[in-house]
Amino acid sequence: MSQDSEQTTASDVTISSYWGAVKGFLMDSALPALSGRDQFNARVAANVLGIIEREQQLGPELAALDAAAAQQWLPAEAEPGTASQQVSRALAAREINTDSHFFDYLKKRQLLVAAINNPRYASRKVAEEKWRDES
Amino acid sequence: MSPEQLTGLLNTALSERLAGKIPGEEVIQLERLSGGANNETWRLTWGITPLILRRRPFSADSIDQLEGNILGLSLVDEAAVIQLATSTSVPVPDIHAVFDATHPIGEAFLMGFIPGESIPQKWLVDDTYEVARSRLAFQCGEALGRIHRIDCSQLPANIGPTSLDKRFAAAQKRLHAFGDISPAMQFGLNWLIDHAPAEAPCVLLHGDFRTGNLLVDEQGLAGVLDWELTHQGPAEEDLGYLCANVWRFGHLHKPVGGFGEYDELIAGYASTAGWTPELSTIRYWEIFAALSWGLVCQTMGALWHSGNGDVERAAVARRRSEAELDILLLIEEWESE
Repeated sequence: MSQDSEQTTASDVTISSYWGAVKGFLMDSALPALSGRDQFNARVAANVLGIIEREQQLGPELAALDAAAAQQWLPAEAEPGTASQQVSRALAAREINTDSHFFDYLKKRQLLVAAINNPRYASRKVAEEKWRDES
Repeated sequence: MSPEQLTGLLNTALSERLAGKIPGEEVIQLERLSGGANNETWRLTWGITPLILRRRPFSADSIDQLEGNILGLSLVDEAAVIQLATSTSVPVPDIHAVFDATHPIGEAFLMGFIPGESIPQKWLVDDTYEVARSRLAFQCGEALGRIHRIDCSQLPANIGPTSLDKRFAAAQKRLHAFGDISPAMQFGLNWLIDHAPAEAPCVLLHGDFRTGNLLVDEQGLAGVLDWELTHQGPAEEDLGYLCANVWRFGHLHKPVGGFGEYDELIAGYASTAGWTPELSTIRYWEIFAALSWGLVCQTMGALWHSGNGDVERAAVARRRSEAELDILLLIEEWESE
């Protein structure tokens, strides 16, 4: 038998495929079979799957942005916690000069966070249109 | 608690509490309504009378020790405030029975059913409510003006006045307690502290007067619901809260709740309150409302982590990003004016 005639069949199931399979089950099988509060929660659960998928895609970009901000606005001796926690605590202590560069960081950060958590939120469209040209 | 268990407990309790008031022998058609990540809302019929049960499935005091009225009043106090509001011409439901946390039903109250539409996605767009929408901002102003004139000395003792400084300190405490995970919310709190208006006299605030907590019929405002966040504070707080982006349900071009204009709201308010609030102060409280929404979302996440609540509460935690985005948009707008 020549190599050309061999057929391969996909056997690995990616995270993305699992996501699709679980969401499909929730929306197509579970949701119609449920009622009241359980049906509502099934819809919510499907939305949460969306957050997981988008965080997988955009999380690294967000982490890199926060790390760069920590490097720019925090002292070299880092406090414990994630970069965004360190920035928050420095803000609370009024240790950061919140000039336009810092505000630009916050805007970029929140566009990414909104894209992960709730891309359909109406203000996100407004913010994107307003801030797109600034970056 | 299952619907069957709740039905059994209600049958016993209501036979006594509703005797001589509302004819009936047993609960029929008990159904949990979907809205509400904090309290449960159930619709039921007693005899032929439709009623609404508000029930808290946990003790708020036991899981939220932080200051700031995020989880709201006890339902016993909420019922007392609603009863107080019946003395005004603000449309509120009648309270028929109140149960404290020691009752087998749990902390709850039973109220009358007011006909009307509560779901914003319906009444904000449906042609049936076109006239209602055109009147609603003025009517909301009128209602808030009336609520703010309620005599605070009649309130339950724990609904006292709170200074802005205390509110800021409570918000800061929450941000720290929740792990300082939001630079945008911390930035917003700093800005609110730096731009705080002069202290104003405290009035009774509804505290959650917004699209989603209003009942609307074809004539306009039919009912004001969900009084659990009632507190005392400056009048403009309620007005700004109603205008917060998050409560416009996508209709951002209509600043008052997604249905009206600022001048309509202010005119309605002036007609019953007897004075005219400043738009700039209302706008300040819009930013405060955005921060408050972010704190509510964080609280929901904390509650879920502590084993209280279902997937909805976990999901609401991430809606914090709505507040974060609005804080930045509103501050940018303020600073550019």
